[in-house]
Amino acid sequence: MTRQEAEVILQDTFKLPNFYTEQWQTIEKVLKGEKVLLIEKTGFGKSLCFQFPAIIFNGTTVIFSPLIALMRDQVKKLTALGIAAKCINSEQTPEENKQILSEAKQGKIKILYVAPERQENTDWIEATQQINLSMVVIDEAHCISVWGHDFRPAFKRMINLVQLLPKGLPVLATTATATKRVELDVAQQIGSGISTIRGNLMRNNFKLFVIKVTTEDEKFIWLGENITKLPGTGILYAGTRVDTEIYSRWFENLQISSTFYNAGLDTESRIEIENGLINSKWKCIISTNALGMGIDKPDIRFIIHTQIPQSPIHYYQEIGRAGRDGQPANIILFYNPEDKKLPQAFIESARPSLKKYEKVIHAIKSELLGEKDLMKQTNLKQNQIRIIKADLIEQGIVREIMNEQNKKIEYIPNSKPLNTKTFEDLRNAKLADLDSMIAYAETNGSRMEFLCDYLGDKTKYTFNNCDNTGEKKLTVSVKPEWKEKLQHFREDYFPELKVEAKGSNIVNGVAASYYGVSNVGAALHRSKYEQGCNFPDFLLSLTAKAFRKKFGHETFDFMLYIPSTSSGDLVKNFAVKLSQVVKVPINHTLIKVRPTKEQKVFENMYLKTDNVKGAFGFTNPAIIQGKTILLIDDIFDSGATIKEVGRLLTKFGAIKIVPVVIAKTVGGDIV
Amino acid sequence: MKKEEATYWIALAHLPRWGYSKINNLIIKFFHENKLSVDEFFQLTVANWKEQYQLDERQISDLLQAKSELASNAFLAESFFSQGYEIIPITSPEYSKTLKANLKTTHAPAVLYVKGNKKILEEKSIAIVGSRDASEPALKFTDNIAKLASKEFKVVVSGFAKGVDKQALDSAIHYNGQSIIVLPQGIMTFSSGFKNYYKQIISGDVLVLSTFFPQAPWKAELAMARNPIIYGLSNEIYVAESAEKGGTWSGVVDGLRKGRKIFVRKPEPNEKNANNILIQKGAIAVDSAGLELPVNLIEKETKQISIVQESPGYESLEEKIRSACNRKPISAKELLIKLNLTWSTQKLNSYIKKLNFIEVVKENNITLYKLKHTTSTTQTTLFL
Repeated sequence: MTRQEAEVILQDTFKLPNFYTEQWQTIEKVLKGEKVLLIEKTGFGKSLCFQFPAIIFNGTTVIFSPLIALMRDQVKKLTALGIAAKCINSEQTPEENKQILSEAKQGKIKILYVAPERQENTDWIEATQQINLSMVVIDEAHCISVWGHDFRPAFKRMINLVQLLPKGLPVLATTATATKRVELDVAQQIGSGISTIRGNLMRNNFKLFVIKVTTEDEKFIWLGENITKLPGTGILYAGTRVDTEIYSRWFENLQISSTFYNAGLDTESRIEIENGLINSKWKCIISTNALGMGIDKPDIRFIIHTQIPQSPIHYYQEIGRAGRDGQPANIILFYNPEDKKLPQAFIESARPSLKKYEKVIHAIKSELLGEKDLMKQTNLKQNQIRIIKADLIEQGIVREIMNEQNKKIEYIPNSKPLNTKTFEDLRNAKLADLDSMIAYAETNGSRMEFLCDYLGDKTKYTFNNCDNTGEKKLTVSVKPEWKEKLQHFREDYFPELKVEAKGSNIVNGVAASYYGVSNVGAALHRSKYEQGCNFPDFLLSLTAKAFRKKFGHETFDFMLYIPSTSSGDLVKNFAVKLSQVVKVPINHTLIKVRPTKEQKVFENMYLKTDNVKGAFGFTNPAIIQGKTILLIDDIFDSGATIKEVGRLLTKFGAIKIVPVVIAKTVGGDIV
Repeated sequence: MKKEEATYWIALAHLPRWGYSKINNLIIKFFHENKLSVDEFFQLTVANWKEQYQLDERQISDLLQAKSELASNAFLAESFFSQGYEIIPITSPEYSKTLKANLKTTHAPAVLYVKGNKKILEEKSIAIVGSRDASEPALKFTDNIAKLASKEFKVVVSGFAKGVDKQALDSAIHYNGQSIIVLPQGIMTFSSGFKNYYKQIISGDVLVLSTFFPQAPWKAELAMARNPIIYGLSNEIYVAESAEKGGTWSGVVDGLRKGRKIFVRKPEPNEKNANNILIQKGAIAVDSAGLELPVNLIEKETKQISIVQESPGYESLEEKIRSACNRKPISAKELLIKLNLTWSTQKLNSYIKKLNFIEVVKENNITLYKLKHTTSTTQTTLFL
């Protein structure tokens, strides 16, 4: 097929005038059955390089993509063009997925999007036996490389798959962000005669700014004062899930239209926010880096980071989502030299101790275990288990298998011992990346040039699109009234306790503070573990304030408190005082029916849940029937205890249970 | 085997209605004669297949169909490998030499699907077979044989059915021996087994093996088709108990027909089974400890004695004949001298005609023997 012939089809089907040179280069190779790695910036039109051949080929093109939002988005667009495209993903019902598979088997689907994890699914493997496959695409191919910014173990299996595909079956791997090292790693792993096509990474519609600050408050104040002055809508990236929530409340407080997004939200909320983003429903979405990758919104006008990312490549990836329409976009990074501590801590603690690795290997050698069994046997956090598991798989020490529909981890006999040198190398590489990110913030030169250099794009341009090369510098000057506004907000901000669950009448409660963010945690720790004296009074007034703000208008029949494990009557005494302050009668009949261990010795949700399961009871359960109950505890971590008591109270007929605690921990177990 | 070849081997091994013989002959042709790898063979043009390989229309259409399914096989193969299964094609040095020698081109499967310690395939091995609802003495016998085998570092091969099979496996594990489980199903459908024998597989004491399509569910036909694999993988075969029909029976009869040395437990007088009939048919009677019993003169028939007598040297005899015929065509008389045999020429004639690697040629009215396809040494390398 000549380029001209192809462009006729292009105009007819995709309503696009012509191909870019690199697009046609890629498509030509793909049509010949070759393997190609395509590195092009966001907005270039990478997807056309597989969508076009897909409609030329007889059979089905399978696209592996890690991003459900992207799949949904592209399927919507292709469907609008009249191209038979579908996606299979974990957020659709099994029936929907089954239906799509059966259509694929009948040859009714041209373009099928699936997540790499789908290779674990037996229905999928069975279906592929009957799908007439024309081409395989690996989107976000940088996820293959551990040297990239977003390594995903499931992509290892993509490499294995590609190596097993018959000769002459086209494979296209695409990414917007790959350093030279990642590019070579990906190409080498895919192997067998792959050619790489790399475009330029310059985004000249960006205006890049770094705002130097010395405190967190300055970030809040600058944003409060200026975000509404920025043209259009955009995204604010915060460092942690907690931060997304706090910034969102701050904006709410200032009546700036916003919402927050992080991986902790349920699917439904996330879809709603993604759609809201596309429709510019809010001035600003505050998110962790979970949002945005692959979302095809052409007119994101600003992207702001309140926290420096781990590396320039993370940063380039995240800001890449702005200004895809080529119109100007403001790219702002807040930089406080102190900020490097968060990514630093993240890198330093990226890997659990060797002892934990050994614990896992030992457990796996003696029994075929799933992740949950393994967590219970080793008392390790889920995220630690996952890191260890991924490393052990990577090093060929274990493999993850499906056994009777369950994922299990299997030891590989005669495998090499754990090689920790790779961990060191990775850690050092990541620390060096972080240094580069700091260098970006501190550079006096062109910021765009800095990013292009870093990513291996050596093309020379005139760079005049940042605050070092012509744009006005942005600075923060704190006015007293803003300081006051912020102070007021902080005193009035109380974290929510998410505990609502089906089958329980417990509702989401409130904490007086975060444990680690203020002096509250320190005060609690002193009372509990050092001096053994009662909780100080400021905790009482803070808790009463939190309670009044959220539940002050409701009436309660009585207050219960969680009986203590080892810290004596601290909670009881606290509850007695609180009961007087908030004028809810106290009741002492919630008791422990068996001894439990302190929840904090358990590292994960499963063991915490087991520890408190059936541990509570009532001397007189009859009084619970039909009551609205206030439930008091000191620290909320996983929520396992509160939830357990909530279930028990529901069982005895309570109609509403409201938990109120002094502090909520940050970054508890992710279950 | 290079990993990239896996999908091609799967395609080749399960060509519908081809049978082992046809597939193996094709492998001999492309691999040994033309030095092609399996993927290179699949890249050949239809014209090549037709002319060079003398494949007919139907075979070519089968191959084209298989070729079109390669991409789909890749998805299966990826899943297969990720679960820790392996494929051993017949061209691999890891392929069981015992199996090749016993089953030859006609019956040896083109690929073995395995999980576990492959090295077990290199060890001396015994099979213990018998019925699913075996009697106490049969199970005791099985235990004795497995114990003995484990002590002598012989691998116990069994078929993972109830009764004798299960006993053989469990006893071998109990006595710290090694085992091969030969599955009556595709290897990817054996989840529960992999869970139950996890430790033994990890420690290298158990190899699970299947010759069927990896996803094939259990079927009676597969259970029957598995029996020759059990016999083929074993240097010695012990029969604990057999009825006069069913898998064990037909397996043993088949084995005897192929000239295998088969030991059958001599039953107690009151037992109701067909062990004695098998002994009459030429199997060797052994006691409950597996010791060979003196041949009972009443049951003896000359034919049986001859089988028993020639069996010990059977494997090497075939090889001797092979090398003796390796150069120029040779007569039976010359062969007898060369092999230092005390047989009659008639006996040698009838024996040698059954060997599938020998071709008969007539020269001046004298019957001479030579190796088939003497231009190549394909069979010796592939089926040694």
